[in-house]
Amino acid sequence: MDRFIFCASLAIGLGLADPGYTQTSTRFVAPKAETEKLSIHAATDLYALEPLVQDFQQISPGTTIEVVEYVTNDLFAAAAKACTEGRSLGDIYLSSSVDQLIKLANDGCARRVEGANLAQADRRANWRDEVFGFTYEPIVMVYNRNAVPSSEIPRTHIELAELLRREASRYRGKVGTYDIRISGIGYLLAFNDARQTTTTYGRLLESLGRADVVVRCCTSEILDEVSAGRLLIGYNMLGSYAYERIRRGEPLGLIMPADYTLVLSRGAMVPTNSSQIGMAARFVDYLVSPRGQSVGQAQSFFFGPDGSAPPGIDGGDIVASGIARPIVLAPALLAVQDKARRQRFLEDWTKSMIQPK
Amino acid sequence: MAKREPSLFLRLLTLVSSVLLVGGLFLSVLAWYSARHAADEAYDRLLLGAAYQIADAIVIQEGKPEIELPVSAFELLGLSDRDRIFYHVLDPAGRTLTGYDSLQFPSTPRPIERATIVDARYGGEDVRLARVARRFDDPQMRGDAVVLVAQTVGARWTLAQNLTLRSLLPVGIMGIIAIGSMIFAVRRALAPIGRLETAIRNRDPLDLTLIDVTAPRELQPFVGEINHFIERLRGRVDLMQQFIADAAHQLRTPLTALNGQVDLLSNDQVSEDGRKHLDRIRVRVAQLSRLANQLLSHAMIAHREQAVATSLVDLTELTRRALGDAVPDTLERDILVTFQSSNGRLEVRGDPVNLAEAIKNLIDNAVRHGAPTAIAVRLYREANCAVIDIADDGPGIPADRWAQVSSRFGAASFDAKGSGLGLSIAAAVAAAHRGGLSFKTASDGKFVAELRFPLEGRS
Repeated sequence: MDRFIFCASLAIGLGLADPGYTQTSTRFVAPKAETEKLSIHAATDLYALEPLVQDFQQISPGTTIEVVEYVTNDLFAAAAKACTEGRSLGDIYLSSSVDQLIKLANDGCARRVEGANLAQADRRANWRDEVFGFTYEPIVMVYNRNAVPSSEIPRTHIELAELLRREASRYRGKVGTYDIRISGIGYLLAFNDARQTTTTYGRLLESLGRADVVVRCCTSEILDEVSAGRLLIGYNMLGSYAYERIRRGEPLGLIMPADYTLVLSRGAMVPTNSSQIGMAARFVDYLVSPRGQSVGQAQSFFFGPDGSAPPGIDGGDIVASGIARPIVLAPALLAVQDKARRQRFLEDWTKSMIQPK
Repeated sequence: MAKREPSLFLRLLTLVSSVLLVGGLFLSVLAWYSARHAADEAYDRLLLGAAYQIADAIVIQEGKPEIELPVSAFELLGLSDRDRIFYHVLDPAGRTLTGYDSLQFPSTPRPIERATIVDARYGGEDVRLARVARRFDDPQMRGDAVVLVAQTVGARWTLAQNLTLRSLLPVGIMGIIAIGSMIFAVRRALAPIGRLETAIRNRDPLDLTLIDVTAPRELQPFVGEINHFIERLRGRVDLMQQFIADAAHQLRTPLTALNGQVDLLSNDQVSEDGRKHLDRIRVRVAQLSRLANQLLSHAMIAHREQAVATSLVDLTELTRRALGDAVPDTLERDILVTFQSSNGRLEVRGDPVNLAEAIKNLIDNAVRHGAPTAIAVRLYREANCAVIDIADDGPGIPADRWAQVSSRFGAASFDAKGSGLGLSIAAAVAAAHRGGLSFKTASDGKFVAELRFPLEGRS
């Protein structure tokens, strides 16, 4: 293979991107003579995106693909700024924080795209032909299999709250979750938790706060620490990332909460100012196509849209048993993105979770 | 030539279709407006509902206005799931609490109105904009908090289109039914015209009886007018026949006198040359009286054709008598006249006088102009017809004139011997009896005149 992957970790000064956002840029050079370039700005781990990008290059061998990685909030901020200023920033946005994509689309920053597979996409995974959901990812709890005895494994949200209260000393500083102040997906998940059950959410928040919860920007950082044993439990983790670790042999256990399991559909959109609209539409179409879906399910996201869990995961079929709570791509997500509401929610969250040092 | 006008059917079709089309267009426009109205009404309620929910979520805490935007308001608006939503919440002091700062109400609404909805533009799209004011009378905060909610109009248009299409479907079906039944009705209504046309077309050109076809009231004047015309024509024809008959009759008297005078001029009294002239005069006078007789009999035939009721006639007897009448007792030459008839009665329905006249005329013709030695008359049956053929061994009539001499009042030739009118009479009688006169040359070279009549009682 004459392909080479150019990797660069940069904090600042990468081409068009604004300084101040943490980004990593990776180039997948076209397998054949390069005829066009596609720039994907993604809040998605590269390992998950790589199989899809490389498979897409089999179909479209003349395309060099650049993947710029962000944290969700940074991607949103950069995209919103580019949109307001009428600048071009990348050709495709991929983000697990779909409320941010809906907000961008509502503000007129998304371009309507069409494609054979897009036309068949589920209505709940397609908003205005502008934002498309292309994955099916349960939100799970993870624990360190070596350090958490099976009797203590929480099966529901309330069990987690009670465990933290009961075994307060043992779990103090040993539970990790998103810092929703910097992670859009963390905020979206917490918001949905709060909407599911007000009381459970309150108790959970209280318990997490008392247990000196550790907050991080990203699922992967918490997963690293849980598998290393520095943390025992990770809360509100993306199931796909966690399963990937288990597949690699890390000592992690995965729980799909039995009271309710949030299910996230990662979103894709093409910004208005994309310079490669045709190619971008083809990539988004590829993501929802049967081929893209099967590659994604086999190598990146593992869980199928029918609710099927990959081998080795118990918890059964969350769709059939009715505990799945999909976060639908709909205008209701605009309320999540309301700045007054967000500010209040963050204030409440911070008050409960972050103990003044 | 009169200008060709489009058919009545086409006129009616065009007129009714245009009326239907105009009506259909009018209904479509009406349907579209009412659908737009209905769609607006339906979605306006959602919009207002959402605005009220948002307004309801404004609270004054410790003198400060706050809002926790209700997700349910957005779920309500999300019922039109492809439309963009914009909102702007202002506190009683007019400061932005949250939302899109640039979303403003286009006009200043009257303070009395708590809820208003207008069409507006925002974010480059047509939107429907709702404004709901909520009055606060807290000691720290007095005034109207205002909630503006706007939504793009995609769902409304889609709904309006669907409603319009759905209401146009029955209009279209009704139109098709209307045009279909109109075609049917017009065809039915115009059918009498067709019947009348067929009745007139199928008439014999010489049939001067009145048209007797049932016609609707609208067509009665035409039928009446045609019949009136036929009556006048018949009067004219009658008059003319009468005139011919009178003239022929009037001619006969002086002719008889003339004949007598010629006869008085006996052979002795004139010279050799004079006798030759006298003979010629005698021949001419004879021709003239024959012509006068034929004219008279022609007129008689025409008269009888219309006036005399038909009866069953036995042709064998009739032919035999006609032979007797037609072959003069004294002839200048010897002619063998034979009559051969088949067994059984051959009966036709008709006027015996006219029929006899026809046969006599043919035999007379054969005697006078044809046969040097023999005339053979045969009567036989062929299929459903009775045939009388008269063969003679004379020169006959040249084949190229057959059609001409047997045509009814055709240009009958008045050659030197004055033959034509006899054949005309025979042809006229044959035609009046649904039969015909034809000529042929028999295998033995004889000239044959053939009369043919349909037999009575058989179809």
